[in-house]
Amino acid sequence: MTAVQAPRKPSHGPHSPDWKNALFVAPYLFFFVTLLVFPLFWGIWLSFHKADTFSSGPFVGFGNYVRLFNDKVFLQSVGNTFYFVLLTVPTLALIGLFLALALNARTRTATVLRSLFFFSSVLSVTIVTLIWRIVFIPQFGLLATVYGWFGATAPAFVSDPNLAMIAVAMATIWWCLGLPMMLFLSALQQIPGDIYEAAALDNASRWRTLTAITLPSIKRTFALVIIIQIVLQFQLFGQAWLMTRGGPNNVTKPIVLYIYDTAFRRWDLGLGAAASEVLFVLILLAAMAQYLISRRKEDL
Amino acid sequence: MKTIVKSALLAVSALAISAVTAVADPVEIKLQRFFGACDADFGTNTDVAKATGECGIITSLINKFNADNPDIHISVTNVEWPGYDQLNAQFAAGDAPDIVTIHESVLSDYQSKNLLLPLDDLLKSEGITPDQFTSAAQQGVTKDGKFYGMPIDTWTMLYHVNMDLFKQAGLVNPDGTPIFPKSVDEAIAQAEQFKAKTGKPYFVQNMANETALFMRNFYTYLFQQDSDFFADPKHIKVQTPEAKKVLEFYKKIYDEDLTTKDMDYGTAINAFLAGEGGVQLNGTWVVGDYNAQSETAGTALNKGGYAVYPYPQLFGGTHAQYADGHSWAVSAKDRKPEELAAIGKFLKFYFDNDYEWSRTGHLPSVQAVLDSDQFKALPHRSTILEVAKLGKPLPQQIQRQFALQDIIGEEAGAAITGQKDIDAALADMETRVNDLLSNL
Repeated sequence: MTAVQAPRKPSHGPHSPDWKNALFVAPYLFFFVTLLVFPLFWGIWLSFHKADTFSSGPFVGFGNYVRLFNDKVFLQSVGNTFYFVLLTVPTLALIGLFLALALNARTRTATVLRSLFFFSSVLSVTIVTLIWRIVFIPQFGLLATVYGWFGATAPAFVSDPNLAMIAVAMATIWWCLGLPMMLFLSALQQIPGDIYEAAALDNASRWRTLTAITLPSIKRTFALVIIIQIVLQFQLFGQAWLMTRGGPNNVTKPIVLYIYDTAFRRWDLGLGAAASEVLFVLILLAAMAQYLISRRKEDL
Repeated sequence: MKTIVKSALLAVSALAISAVTAVADPVEIKLQRFFGACDADFGTNTDVAKATGECGIITSLINKFNADNPDIHISVTNVEWPGYDQLNAQFAAGDAPDIVTIHESVLSDYQSKNLLLPLDDLLKSEGITPDQFTSAAQQGVTKDGKFYGMPIDTWTMLYHVNMDLFKQAGLVNPDGTPIFPKSVDEAIAQAEQFKAKTGKPYFVQNMANETALFMRNFYTYLFQQDSDFFADPKHIKVQTPEAKKVLEFYKKIYDEDLTTKDMDYGTAINAFLAGEGGVQLNGTWVVGDYNAQSETAGTALNKGGYAVYPYPQLFGGTHAQYADGHSWAVSAKDRKPEELAAIGKFLKFYFDNDYEWSRTGHLPSVQAVLDSDQFKALPHRSTILEVAKLGKPLPQQIQRQFALQDIIGEEAGAAITGQKDIDAALADMETRVNDLLSNL
């Protein structure tokens, strides 16, 4: 004869905290702490020390930061990064919006074109820069060939100090256009159709419909696209490294390339870490702006 | 019962076979190198004599070593030149390759951090002694009295000449050799004459976002003025009349369109091979390939011939030019005796094949090869052999030489192309280099 087991009484209510629940987040938490939180604090620690790739030395206080802000190349790289963001972000937002407006239709052509414009986004940075290098190579490149047909000489996009950053921006815009277009498309498709029907009944012009209905309805997406792109483009590295190596004379060297150069090519890890913290603060400001805007959206 | 015996026999046989296989497993050695990829042409080639160019010869040599030594397997990782960023990460992660190509100018960086194995004992066990190498090669790899790499060559920059265009320009001696300048003024005058007669620039240079070429030219012409710009290995002095003269010379060449502009390295090679200019400033490593081009009918170099010479002496000091060398270095880590023996065997194999490697155009590191008739009989060696005496590296105590190359190249390039005033570029060059060297 077996004893009848009394039904288990739950020791907590269904919504009361239970430490076992932590197990569900533990795997994520483990990687978050080891791959993000720990390196973040380690980076801050390094920025206050004299350190190279293979050893860390004495505490130097703000010494690395003082060196950093006395370094013309670092200040130039900060300026370059802002210039690059200025070149790419508004262009990406405007072209992305234009494409989304043009391709927001349930036709086969629109679907094909949407896929086509999104296609470049799936390529790796190496392939993207390779394609654009082939376009820009002097004498033998696509641009040189086209100019050659008209007996003209193509501009030296990757070696002219006035054009080099524009060349990097062109490659980037071609590469990154897919995401803004998709974000705008999803926003456009959420606008209720009856508003447009009402506008049609009122004989509103297409321009009036665009400015009075469409654009106001997607203004938060517009802000989101701008902020996402600012955060992304602040981290420019691959295109500049592979297309121009940061040249000529550092005019296309962004902050991340400065960090890479300093920490891994010159072995000055402390200085590189200090530059990383400056970039961290800049991106944090952009992320906070995104947070504030999304908070405002919830309040409404 | 029969079945049980049969199964037992099978099991024993299987164990025996796996044990034999385990014994026969080759010793695995990880090798990392630059010099490019050419698997399509030489991926399986073991006939080294058929290979040309750096990539072809090194690939074929390693294939041959693997074929000749079934008990050893060299697995190759091919990195983009020079590959030090990757190597740094590998060393930092404790996952460095066993054998790696390192420029002699960079050995100090790794040796100072105890990341490399001194090779004296290993080379000695293979019967290789330091005195078998040329003095330049010995100096290049000796740090604190020990060999930290096995030198495989000495390389430098050269004047690669399109003789057809030189004939058109009237810059050929009666004996058929090219006429080179003996001073800066002569250099400008000859380049102007060349352009006037051929309509093409005298120099073919890769100037687009380039640093190495600018640095090598800068050092070379400072050496030619006996400028002791690195009297202190932690302090450079380039705000000098000598440094200014070098940049003024190259700026004049640039301003008067006596050189190609806006070309990257690959484009400059293609342009020279297409006959777009008279002299290409490039290294010893292209001599073999260019000579092969000159022997191919229908090419620009086949038309009037190809010649190659050391940099002409343009200033009043000692005739010299910047040189460096490649070496095989071995990472410092715990190894089994058979692994170390395999590495030694590979180094001996490369030492024994130094002649094959010298077919690239590099000068051999082994004195006996340099002195051999076989080497001297290779095309153009009579004209470039002189660089064995002219070649001069930076003092070996100077660290981060590749990082210095970037700074010097960036500032020199900015001055030559007019982005910066020459004095300002030299001042910035000095400040940036000294900041780097004072914070090692």
